[in-house]
Amino acid sequence: MTAIERTADLRGLQTWLQSGLIGPQPIAADEADQILAPSARLTGSQRWSIYQRAYSSRLLKCMAEQFPALNHALGEDLFADFAREFLVAYPSESYTLYELGRRFPGFLEERRPDRDAPDGSREPWIDFMVDLARFERQLFVLFDAPGHEGNPFAKPETPDERLVLQPCFALGSYRFPVAAYYHEVRIGKDPAYPSAEHSQVALVRTDYSTHTYRVTGFQHALLQILTRGLNVADALRVLGADLNLSGPEIQKFWTGTRGRWIAAGFFIPSG
Amino acid sequence: MAPAVARERSTLTIDIGSFAADVAALPRLGLGLGLRGTHFDHILTERPDVEWFEAISENFMDSGGRPRYVLDQVAEQYPVVLHGVSLSIGSTDPLNREYLAKLKALADAVTPAWVSDHLCWTGVLGANSHDLLPIPLTEKTLHHVAERVRRVQDFLERPLILENPSTYVTFIESTIDEPDFLRALSDETGCGLLLDVNNVYVSCFNADLDPVGYIESFPCDRVVQMHVAGHEHQGTHIIDTHDRPVVPEVWELYRLAWQRTDGASTLLEWDGHIPSFEECHAELLKARRYMGGQFNAGRSHDVTKSGHESLSTPVDFLVPNVMESAVSE
Ligand SMILES: [Fe+2]
Repeated sequence: MTAIERTADLRGLQTWLQSGLIGPQPIAADEADQILAPSARLTGSQRWSIYQRAYSSRLLKCMAEQFPALNHALGEDLFADFAREFLVAYPSESYTLYELGRRFPGFLEERRPDRDAPDGSREPWIDFMVDLARFERQLFVLFDAPGHEGNPFAKPETPDERLVLQPCFALGSYRFPVAAYYHEVRIGKDPAYPSAEHSQVALVRTDYSTHTYRVTGFQHALLQILTRGLNVADALRVLGADLNLSGPEIQKFWTGTRGRWIAAGFFIPSG
Repeated sequence: MAPAVARERSTLTIDIGSFAADVAALPRLGLGLGLRGTHFDHILTERPDVEWFEAISENFMDSGGRPRYVLDQVAEQYPVVLHGVSLSIGSTDPLNREYLAKLKALADAVTPAWVSDHLCWTGVLGANSHDLLPIPLTEKTLHHVAERVRRVQDFLERPLILENPSTYVTFIESTIDEPDFLRALSDETGCGLLLDVNNVYVSCFNADLDPVGYIESFPCDRVVQMHVAGHEHQGTHIIDTHDRPVVPEVWELYRLAWQRTDGASTLLEWDGHIPSFEECHAELLKARRYMGGQFNAGRSHDVTKSGHESLSTPVDFLVPNVMESAVSE
């Protein structure tokens, strides 16, 4: 089919133009010149290439802004290479740019060259890249997620039976200290690649700022139970049963944590 | 809503005459600025003396965080309009119901003076290029777009205000000039128009058309809002960059448009390398110098010497600076 035939109706025209915009191949110049009018200074295809150049720079810029620490870690050029490939594999399908980076961590994981290598023999720097992307995506989501600002938070006197997690909360578990790396970049430093080290964090938004807290394995286990919607009293019972710990042992741990988490806005009063 | 009321409401809204009347009754808001994340703190603390704000709909329709909080505060203090970039009224994909429902919910909550978008398509087959792409201007596409405008207006229960986009290509098959296309679209649907004076300058240069002739043939009686913005002249073409002051030639066109639209609400768009609020506001207030006097076309344009092509329709200002509000404990 000729370009003229393929673009005879608006559907065909849009499909053809778009394939040359977000697809990997630009549309052929001789075809474009049959459809697009020349100006006094440019041919039809030269005019269309203005859209092509802008498409990729525009979205690469948005990707770099959604993953600033990863952009820093990889350097602009390498980051742009990954982001460009990503946009070909997963072009935007949403009315909002907020969704643009949603599938990026998964893409980095699925495209890793050592994907089929056994556990423990994969490239650690790719693990770092994937986990940093996951962390940045999580922060991005929490930035604009429904939160609890303007409503009452739990107080020290709120009983455990009424303590539930606030809505703008997330837990992260990573193979590298990605949160620490991120915050170094944030304050303008140029941190070295960290070495592998299991890290767990809680992310909590209060007053429209998202705070990162490092948590222990024990705390992480409790928070994971709480993310299912349980109140603290019930979650502590479940945790005790899971870990085969006595009531006093659990309470001892909880007494040391409770005040800090309430002050940090982890909890709202239920009911 | 009770079924009887719903039926009565929908008969009312199918009458395009009522949308046209709604458009004619829209207020003159004066000089406004685009609501940008980098200015949030300034606006909340200083309550600057600007007459109104334009908010990008997509930035707030899903917001449960600070952007929406700020918009609610701003809407309490200032008139606000909603300006969209993803309606894709010219696409051949089905209208996105989820998007429209969110837009309607946002409009119901914020009560903007009006809701606008562009005469363009943004994607097809479910994709979004996040660009404002042109359509051929023919009887057939006019019919296609008019049908969709009617459906959007019925759904939103308010008139849609459509903007002339900046364009870099034209189609060999086009048979209608853009001003005539927009007039016919407004006649058929009752929709209002947003006249982007900078886009007129950009599109006309890129298509070897006379921008004065464009404005003179534009249905200025349907214009409820105007845009002005900066662009980059590449010699062979002009890029609509929104990243610098408005050029004198565009201000002169604005003088003409101001007269012909009888002083339509005017908004400065500044989306790339966004300077301080005060600097944007000062640029906006230059409009006052062009609200009277004689049109003066004479002045040749400055062509960029950088050899570098800046970005058209920048959208990265839509991406919040999340790092700014991330705290390590
Ligand atoms: Fe505009």
